[in-house]
Amino acid sequence: MIYVILWITGITGILVFSTMIYFIVKYRHRGGVGAIHSHGNNTLEVVWTTIPVLIFLGLAIYGNEMWGRMRMQKAPADALQVAVVGEQFGWNVRYPGPDGKLGKMDSHKIGKDNPFGIDPNDPDGRDDFTTYNDLVFPVNRPVQLHLSSKDVIHAFYVPEFRLYQDMVPGRVYDFVWFRADSVGSFQLACNQLCGQGHYKMFGKLAVVPDSEYEAWAKGKAPSATASLSSSAEDVATVNR
Amino acid sequence: MSTATLTHAEAHSHHDHHEATGWKKYLWSLDHKIIGLQYLFGSLAFLFVGGGLALLLRWQLAFPSTQVMPDGNVGNPLSLAFINPQFYNALFTMHATVMVFLVVMPVLVGAFGNYLIPLKIGCGDMAFPLINELSFWVWLASGLIMLAGFFVAGGAAAGGWTSYAPLSSVAAYNGTKIGQTLWAAGIFINGLASIMGAFNYITTIVNMRAPGMGFFRMPLAVWALFITAFLLLLAIPVLSAAGAMLILDLNFGTNFFNPAKGGQPLLWQHLFWFFGHPEVYILILPAMGMVSDILSVNSRKPVFGYRAMVYAMIAIGFLGFIVWGHHMFVSGMNLVLSAAFGVSTMVIAVPSAIKTFNWLGTIWGGSIRFNTAMLNALAFVSMFVIGGFSGIFMASTPVNIFVHHTYFIVAHFHYVLFGGSIFAMFAAIYFWYPKMFGRLMNETLGKIHFALTFIFFNLCFFPMHNVGLGGMMRRIADPTAYEHLRALQPINQFITIAAIGLGFSQLLFLYNFFRSLRHGEPAGKNPWEATTLEWTVDSPPGHGNFATTPTVYRGAYEYSVPGHAKDFIMQTEPPDPDLPASALARSRPVPVG
Repeated sequence: MIYVILWITGITGILVFSTMIYFIVKYRHRGGVGAIHSHGNNTLEVVWTTIPVLIFLGLAIYGNEMWGRMRMQKAPADALQVAVVGEQFGWNVRYPGPDGKLGKMDSHKIGKDNPFGIDPNDPDGRDDFTTYNDLVFPVNRPVQLHLSSKDVIHAFYVPEFRLYQDMVPGRVYDFVWFRADSVGSFQLACNQLCGQGHYKMFGKLAVVPDSEYEAWAKGKAPSATASLSSSAEDVATVNR
Repeated sequence: MSTATLTHAEAHSHHDHHEATGWKKYLWSLDHKIIGLQYLFGSLAFLFVGGGLALLLRWQLAFPSTQVMPDGNVGNPLSLAFINPQFYNALFTMHATVMVFLVVMPVLVGAFGNYLIPLKIGCGDMAFPLINELSFWVWLASGLIMLAGFFVAGGAAAGGWTSYAPLSSVAAYNGTKIGQTLWAAGIFINGLASIMGAFNYITTIVNMRAPGMGFFRMPLAVWALFITAFLLLLAIPVLSAAGAMLILDLNFGTNFFNPAKGGQPLLWQHLFWFFGHPEVYILILPAMGMVSDILSVNSRKPVFGYRAMVYAMIAIGFLGFIVWGHHMFVSGMNLVLSAAFGVSTMVIAVPSAIKTFNWLGTIWGGSIRFNTAMLNALAFVSMFVIGGFSGIFMASTPVNIFVHHTYFIVAHFHYVLFGGSIFAMFAAIYFWYPKMFGRLMNETLGKIHFALTFIFFNLCFFPMHNVGLGGMMRRIADPTAYEHLRALQPINQFITIAAIGLGFSQLLFLYNFFRSLRHGEPAGKNPWEATTLEWTVDSPPGHGNFATTPTVYRGAYEYSVPGHAKDFIMQTEPPDPDLPASALARSRPVPVG
């Protein structure tokens, strides 16, 4: 898509600028040569209205179809479920334990000691484990994200994944999913101004082979209410 | 009451403001020309404030004070220690606020709108001179209130010029309760000034055109300001309401925008962008109108497709109100809604394309004079085209999420706002300066200023497309904090050097501006041999503009008409009896209204 637009704008750009430069040089003021008198040409107006309309409508339809494919496709059922909650200025991450299920979360329950809004009575949540600013994903396996925010608007942004989603507090965004196709280490950045620590609200993001992921997950202890706020505040100490 | 006294009272109501003298003339004058100049000087002063803020921003990005150097020390040796992250956030917030509300809007709408509308439509002053003067002082107060934020506890507003809630609306999140309140109050008061100006322009243009000045004989600059005034009148109150709600949330315990207490952060975004997108066109339409006039005069040709230009601007005005959602693609709005906003955004590009083709049509076959005004006008067209192209990338929803909030969009809106509106501002200043002050600006200095500005502008803003595609986020105080951005740091330093060059080039403009007040060549009534009404009177025009109300016999762009000795015909020139009847019919005065 980006290349289609690049081609269209590139070609139009060359045409427009070369016409402009040609006119500027050809019709510069010279003694004895006056300007022609013309108020315009309706046929031309119709032509150069219709062509952009068609191009832009084409782009809009093409873009919307692609947008639909990107957004409307449901994540596969076997996707790894991961909840990410932004706060000033860090990322709370919650992984499902061995049962593969995240505990129920409710944005109304989000509070100082409960960044995920976890329902303490839900058995699925008992074996979940949490991290702070540390994300590990298995390669070649779909991952479905459940994004939300505790305080102000943050944005989940991984430039290498071309992944961007605003996280407006009070909502849960669970239509974002992806499959990383190569291992590597990346950075998760906040890309919506969230206060003075915004510029360093980033987390480690590693894509590793499946076995390595399993080993990493096993080493994590379940956390009952997943309160990491004390450590969170250490990291988020205001730097002025 | 007798008829005679009525007439006298009427006459009196039109002449109850006499020309003030001395310093009073420049501080409290009801003359639209003085008010225009007040706006011009005020916004030029703010231009240098906003530019200074931008240079501090660029310095921090090139040499961050928080950077961890290879030797383990924090802070680049070249960095300015006082730019901490919070101050950095305040800098870009206030840079944008100053440039939008205190520079581009007042210089295009306030200065040129006030100065040109009565002169171009042939009347003595605005419909409401007192409200006009009031609007200037209210505007100036709004600017000082916003800037006062730098001197209060917590510092100036630091939530971005878009001030997204709840960061902006909850003091515990932003740490700048007073600064943010001053910002919102400034926006509210600024809105009052805009509304006062807008209904004044509309009333004046509808009611006070000279005999024969039909709507379709008005110069495009007047059309553009007319349409802009409607946009202001419809969009600004929404922003004012949002600003008032923000003040209430911050200080009086309401929770319009705070989700923790049942508010809705997206309400702010909808209100802000319902204003914000028409605002984009408020910032560019007057520029388009004035550039159309300047291109026509200096090509010695009528504007190509005059009516198409008018209809395109009206279309932009309407469509401008239904595209605001494209600023919110990433907020997770309904998919059908975002599809609709994507389509409307693509459609609004069409009138802009039409205007570009007509500008090319205007210079086609012309006899182009390359004075400084014309060079700046041509730069406007080409930079606007580049800005328009990058806009298409953004309008496309799938591409948008790749480049959203990166330097790509920073490049885009600087191409439209600086490359567009600021070049148009320079074009307009060089073009109407002789009318305003009776002397011409120095052409050699002007051309050097133009060349430096054009080169440094492109060196500064074009590479921003590249760092944007490289994934550099906007609004981060220290790009070196990110691994993927460290490789881009040399480009950031390059941009900063270009920005400094761009800033210092403007001193040349200032020098030329003030030097020419005394030493410029006397301009006479009509130095550019233009056809519109302002060029029929003295430079600068006297109080009341026209000794007798002019009668208009023809359109605004009669250049190079075959069979005429001169290559321009003033709008006030009566039709030539020798012309064939068909030509005569076209140039007969049309009734007003």
